[in-house]
Amino acid sequence: MTWTKLFKSELNAILTNIPLMVTVFAGVIFYSFLYPLPYSQQTPQQQKIAVINLDQSQLSRTLERMVDATPQIKITEQVRNINAAKFLVIRGEIQGFLLIPHNFYRDLLLEKSPHLTLTGNASYFLVYGTIIEGLARSIGTLSAQVKVTRMVVKGDNIVLAASQYAPIKLNMKPTFNASVGYLNYVVPAVFVLILHQTLLIAMGLLTAGQFENKIKNSPENEKVLKNSYWLQYPVWKIVLVRTLLMLAIYLFLSFYYFGYSFESYGISRLATIPDLLSLMFPFLLSVIFLGMTLGLLIPRKELVTLIVILSSLPLVFSAGFIWPTSNIPLAINVVAQFFPSTSAITGFLRLNQMGDSIESLVHIRQQLWLLTILYAMLTMLLMSNKQQKVTAVK
Amino acid sequence: MKPASTFSFDLNKEWQLISQDAWLKALLFWLPIALAFILWAIFSVGIARNLAIGVVDLDNSVMSRGLTRHYDASPSLLVTKHFSSVKQAKIAFRNGSIYGLVIIPFELEKNTVLGKSPQVTVFYNSQYILIGKLINAAVVQAHGTYIAKIETFKYLVNTHGQVDQAIGEALPISSQVTPLFNSNNHYGQFLVSAAIPAVWQILIIATVVLAFGAYQRGSTRGNELLAMNGRNMLVKLIPYVVIFWLQGMLFNSVFYGVMNWPMHGSWLLLVFAQLLFVIACVSVATLFFFITFDVTRAMSLVAGFAAPAFAFMGVTFPTSDMPWLAHFWRNLLPSSHYIEIQVQQVNYGVALVYSSGHYLVLIVFMSCFYFSILLINKRKSALLRQSKNTDALTAIGVNNDMD
Repeated sequence: MTWTKLFKSELNAILTNIPLMVTVFAGVIFYSFLYPLPYSQQTPQQQKIAVINLDQSQLSRTLERMVDATPQIKITEQVRNINAAKFLVIRGEIQGFLLIPHNFYRDLLLEKSPHLTLTGNASYFLVYGTIIEGLARSIGTLSAQVKVTRMVVKGDNIVLAASQYAPIKLNMKPTFNASVGYLNYVVPAVFVLILHQTLLIAMGLLTAGQFENKIKNSPENEKVLKNSYWLQYPVWKIVLVRTLLMLAIYLFLSFYYFGYSFESYGISRLATIPDLLSLMFPFLLSVIFLGMTLGLLIPRKELVTLIVILSSLPLVFSAGFIWPTSNIPLAINVVAQFFPSTSAITGFLRLNQMGDSIESLVHIRQQLWLLTILYAMLTMLLMSNKQQKVTAVK
Repeated sequence: MKPASTFSFDLNKEWQLISQDAWLKALLFWLPIALAFILWAIFSVGIARNLAIGVVDLDNSVMSRGLTRHYDASPSLLVTKHFSSVKQAKIAFRNGSIYGLVIIPFELEKNTVLGKSPQVTVFYNSQYILIGKLINAAVVQAHGTYIAKIETFKYLVNTHGQVDQAIGEALPISSQVTPLFNSNNHYGQFLVSAAIPAVWQILIIATVVLAFGAYQRGSTRGNELLAMNGRNMLVKLIPYVVIFWLQGMLFNSVFYGVMNWPMHGSWLLLVFAQLLFVIACVSVATLFFFITFDVTRAMSLVAGFAAPAFAFMGVTFPTSDMPWLAHFWRNLLPSSHYIEIQVQQVNYGVALVYSSGHYLVLIVFMSCFYFSILLINKRKSALLRQSKNTDALTAIGVNNDMD
C-alpha cells in the first residue's frame, strides 16, 4: 500500500488497457495526419466555369482572358445559353458560369452600364464564394481600366487618372490567417478538440472499466478484490496518481500537436511556451476530471467512446470559430460552457493564432480552473460512492 | 426444426433485447432526434447577422461618419465599438470581441474632395474563415454603394442631371450575382443537411456494434454470436435497418416538408438512397464487431472511422481540391456517397443515371456482411480445433440446438 506500488499499478493499468492505448497514441497520431488531409491545398483554386459570350467583341474576350487568369477560376467551357450551362453544373463538370450580354461593348462605349450575370453553384459555399470572388475581382479590374481610359480621353493625366479611379479606396486585409487558408482555420481548433475527445475517452475507459462491475461475495471474488488496487487505496490517492500520469502523457501529446504538427503544417505559433502551459494545465486537468466523472456515471465502458464521438460535431459547431457565438441560441451557449473544449478552443486560437496576451485570457483560464474544481469534486464524490458500493457486498 | 427458430421468434427476441436496454432504446428513438435538433438550433438563424466590428475614425467628418453609417447599415455588420486610437482597437481585435476593424484615415473628406483618393483599411479576422468572408463581402458591398453614391452625385453635375448616364459613368459595368440551388444562401440548410448524415452514420454503426455487444454480456451468450449463420444475422439486424430508415424519413419530412427547405428531386430516389445508406452502415458495423469480437475495441474502430467523416464529405471544402489520399479515405465512408446522392436529389433533382455510381457503391458495402460471416466461421473453427475443453463444445452444441 505504498505510493510506489500505487504508481506502478496505475501505470500498468494504463499501459495494458489496449483500447485506451489505441485511442491515446494511435488515435492522436492517426488523426494528426488524417484530419488535415482534405484541406492540404488550403484554398480551392481553378474552379471550372463556363462562359456564355453573347457579345463576341474584342473587349468581351479580354474580359474572358482576365477571368481565366485569376487563380480562382478556370474557364473550361463555352456554351450558348443558360440551360446548357445549368446542365453542365448539374453534371458536376463546372461550378458556375458568366453571362456576357449582347452589345456589351457597345453599351460600355455609350456609358450605359452593361449588365453581367455571374452564377455559382451555391450548394457548396466555399466553391461559390471562390467563383464569385474571382469573377468580381476581374470585373472590378476591367471597370477600373475603363474608368481610367475615359478619364484619359477627357484629358486627365494618366498617372492621376490611375490613382483616382475610385474616390475612396478600400484596402481589405485578412488578418491572423493572411492566406485565408482552410488548413490554418480548421487544424488549430480541431486539434484542441481531438486532444479533448481522446483524453475523455481514455479517462472514461480506464475509470469505467474498473468500476463498472459489482463484485459479488464469493471466495473466487476475494481474489479479484485483492487484485483491484483501485478498491483498496483511498480515492484521493488514486485520483491524484491517475491525474498526474495522464497529465504527463497529454502534455507530451500536446507538444507534439502544438509543436511538431503545427510546424509541419506551417501553422502559426505565436504563443510562448510558458503562456501555452498556463492555458494547457487547466485545460488538460478539467478534461481529465470530466473524463473520470463520465466514466463513473456510465454503466459500461464502451459507452464512453460512443458519447464522446456523438458530441464532437455539436461541440465543434458551438465553439464559436465556425459560426459566431452571437448567432447561436443562448441555451446552447450556456451548456457549451460546461465543456472545456469551448473555452479552450477560443483560448488557444487567441493565444497561438491571434497573438493575444495571456493576461487578457484571464476569464478563460478562470473558467477552465473552475471546471477543473467542479469535475474534480464530482469525481471524488462519485468514486467514493462506487468504491463503497462495490465493496459493500463483501 | 423447432418453432424456436422461426422468423418472428428471432425478431421478437431482438425486440426483447432492445426493450431491456435503455441505451439501445435511446440510440434508436430519442437521441438521433435530440442531436438533429441541437445541430439545427445552432444554425437556426441561417444567415449570420450583426457581426461585431469596430471603427477608428481619425477624420471625424461628415463623410467619415457617413461611411461608418453605411457599414453599420449592412445586415451582416454591427459597429459595436468606436476607438480613439489604433492601439486600443488592436487589443479588442486580438481578443476576438470584434471580428473586423475599420481604420478611417485623417483628412478623408478633404482628400476625397481634392481628388486625392484616400484609403480606408479594414482588417478582418480570417482565422474564423466563414465570419471573415462574410465581413469582407459585407464591407466591400457597403463601401461600393457609398462610393457609387458619391460618384453618381459628382457625375450628376457633369451630365446635367441625367441620372442614368451618371450611374453609367460611376459604374461602368454592373453585375448581378445569382446563387444556383441554394438561392437564399442559408448557411443552416447548407451545413445541417450535411452534418446530420455524418452524425447519423456514427449512430447507426455504434448502435449495431452495441447490439452485438449486448449478446456478449450474459454468461454464455458470447457463443450465441458464433453460432449465427447468415439468416440469423439478417433477421437480427432487420429491426435496426427499419428503425434507422424511418429516422431518415422523419428527417426528410421535417426539414423538406414541415420546415419547407427547398427540395427539387425525387422523394423516392432519396428514400431509396437512405435505405441503402442504412444497410451499408449496418454492414460496416457488423464487420467492425466481428473483426474485434469485443464491443469496446469495435467502438474504437467506429471512432477512428466515422468520427472525422464530416471533413471528408466535400461539403465545406470541395473534393476537387483534395489530394488522392483524402479521396481514397473519403470513398471508404458510406456518408460520402450518400451525401452526393442527397445533394444531387435535393438541390439538382437529377435522374437516377447521374448518381447510379454512388448507389452502386452503397450496395457494394453490403459485402461486409459476407466478410463478417467468414470471420465468424474462422473464429468458430479455431475455437473448436484449439480447445478440447468440453465446456466450449457443449456451449456451442447447446446453441446449435437452439439454432
